[in-house]
Amino acid sequence: MREFGGITLLLAALCAALPTSVGAQMEFSLDEVEDEGPNRAAQKKVGKDAKEEGDLIEQLAAEKEVEGPEEPVPAREETVEEIYAVQQIYALRLKRFEIAPSAAFTVNDKYLRHPGFGVAANYWFTNVLAIGVNFIWYDWGNPLERGTTLVEQIQRSFRLGVPINEWQFGLWANFTYVPFYGKFSMFRKFLFQWDSYLIGGVGVMRTKPIPVFDPEIREFNWDMQVSFNVGIGLRIFLTRYLTFFTEFRDYMFLEKFENVNVDPANRDDPSTWLAGSSTFFNNLTVQFGFTLFLPIKFEYRLPK
Amino acid sequence: MMNLARKTLSRIGITVAVASCLLVGDGLWSGTHSASAQEVHVTGPLADKPAVMKLRLWRKNRLQLEPFFAFTVGDDYSRALIFGGEVRFSFLDWLGIGGWGGGSFVNLNTDLTRQVRDKGVTTNRNRLSLPSRENFPDQVGRMNWMAGADVHFTPFRGKLAMFQKVFFDADLDFFVGAAFVGITERSDTSIQVAPDGTQLCDPPAMDTGCLGSQLARSKRVAIAPSFGVAFQAYFKEFMGIAIRWRAFPFKWNTGGTDEAGPDGGFPDGQINSSDRQRQFNQMINIGFIFVLPPKIKTTD
Repeated sequence: MREFGGITLLLAALCAALPTSVGAQMEFSLDEVEDEGPNRAAQKKVGKDAKEEGDLIEQLAAEKEVEGPEEPVPAREETVEEIYAVQQIYALRLKRFEIAPSAAFTVNDKYLRHPGFGVAANYWFTNVLAIGVNFIWYDWGNPLERGTTLVEQIQRSFRLGVPINEWQFGLWANFTYVPFYGKFSMFRKFLFQWDSYLIGGVGVMRTKPIPVFDPEIREFNWDMQVSFNVGIGLRIFLTRYLTFFTEFRDYMFLEKFENVNVDPANRDDPSTWLAGSSTFFNNLTVQFGFTLFLPIKFEYRLPK
Repeated sequence: MMNLARKTLSRIGITVAVASCLLVGDGLWSGTHSASAQEVHVTGPLADKPAVMKLRLWRKNRLQLEPFFAFTVGDDYSRALIFGGEVRFSFLDWLGIGGWGGGSFVNLNTDLTRQVRDKGVTTNRNRLSLPSRENFPDQVGRMNWMAGADVHFTPFRGKLAMFQKVFFDADLDFFVGAAFVGITERSDTSIQVAPDGTQLCDPPAMDTGCLGSQLARSKRVAIAPSFGVAFQAYFKEFMGIAIRWRAFPFKWNTGGTDEAGPDGGFPDGQINSSDRQRQFNQMINIGFIFVLPPKIKTTD
């Protein structure tokens, strides 16, 4: 359990910080009004002037009614103009950094569980496109303690050994694209914003076989494998800078497993320890985590 | 190597946790800014109005018909492809009931099944579990049909923009209920050793090497809890799509092997109900939703 101390501390910190973050979003203080800057003051000034000007026109109009002769007033024509009120996007990503710690769980490996702790960092160079990296650490203690009962069943019932590999870490460079953006209401009372994104990239996985077929002799070293990944994610905005997200990713790489055959004549020859060909491996992963956008504040730039 | 990794991991974990506290905490970012809340009195036309107006009631007092295609996931030995349908009626926009059912038209062997068929080894110790590796695909358990009833709960609903051009309504449908699954498993049998050392299975009588019992099948209906979640999107007032994940865990003998005895010990030389193991069966549905009546109502 000691290995999970870091994750526990991190999740505890995020959970502890969440209520205050939400609370900060709900504040309607004088400071927040003043933060709106000179634009707001200019709007107030214009409004005030307009009101005074309106009063003057009313006075002049009243004087005209008394003094001047009546002139024909041109009929007012209605102009049909469509004006769209477009709601501002709740949280802009443009030119913001994103840091995303997460927990990762492999869902398609029947023989060995691979829980991972991940961190991702992205930079959004448009509001829907980002470039970044993500890192996942998988090496938590003895991997055989994470084996499933299916391995024993296969050995017992079919007399087959199952070559299994352990992973140390993965590191990828990614592009992220956000084609979907929406908002949900809960019982018509609470609104929250969310988006869905596509992600993909290239990187490396550091893996090594666990000696199963000749564990007394064979010993393997960590090796890097080129890895590609694609995925889809869902991000729910808790505030304008803090989100909860979940991702479904497929980390693909060519895996080198242990050779299931043992050559008695060349048992000590390391060149015979690995299988002759690599196996294309799909590491289907579900990730859960939080995203922090930096800077935490942003400004809308309105057209002049 | 392993000790170094643990130390490195602990350092990384503590560093990230402390950094997250500093980043997310209000102290660093807000200075003297303190979080507080106050009641906001809205005046004008929005006073006392709900958060959502002119809400389209996609479900209330409407019947939803959903033909679907489904496939099971996470299977050890056999994957089922299913055609089926679902009917739902909602009393409220967020609460309804429904029934569903389907039949598997194809069962696909997984890679593990093919590996056992090609490389499995039969000895006197495992003859009951694998009488013949060539016939192994015929001894694994299969799902034939499934049906169930659910209560549907739809608390989250909203709208979605796709590529900032296409807009549609969507919701999340959570459901829980009971499922009835028709399955085929290897029939009960037991292995015996004849005086001459030959291994026999019974029934069928005098089944040398258990080859006959390997192909003997029995059917039953398993009852399981059923639950899941669906993403539903509506493109017309009467039509939409649904992507649904459903889990229905129950015990069954997926491999047709001798896994445990009555007291949990192994092996007991018999294949029976004691060898059923709990499986977290899952399936993914992709369906089209047709809604009746086709005309939708909206709130004030």
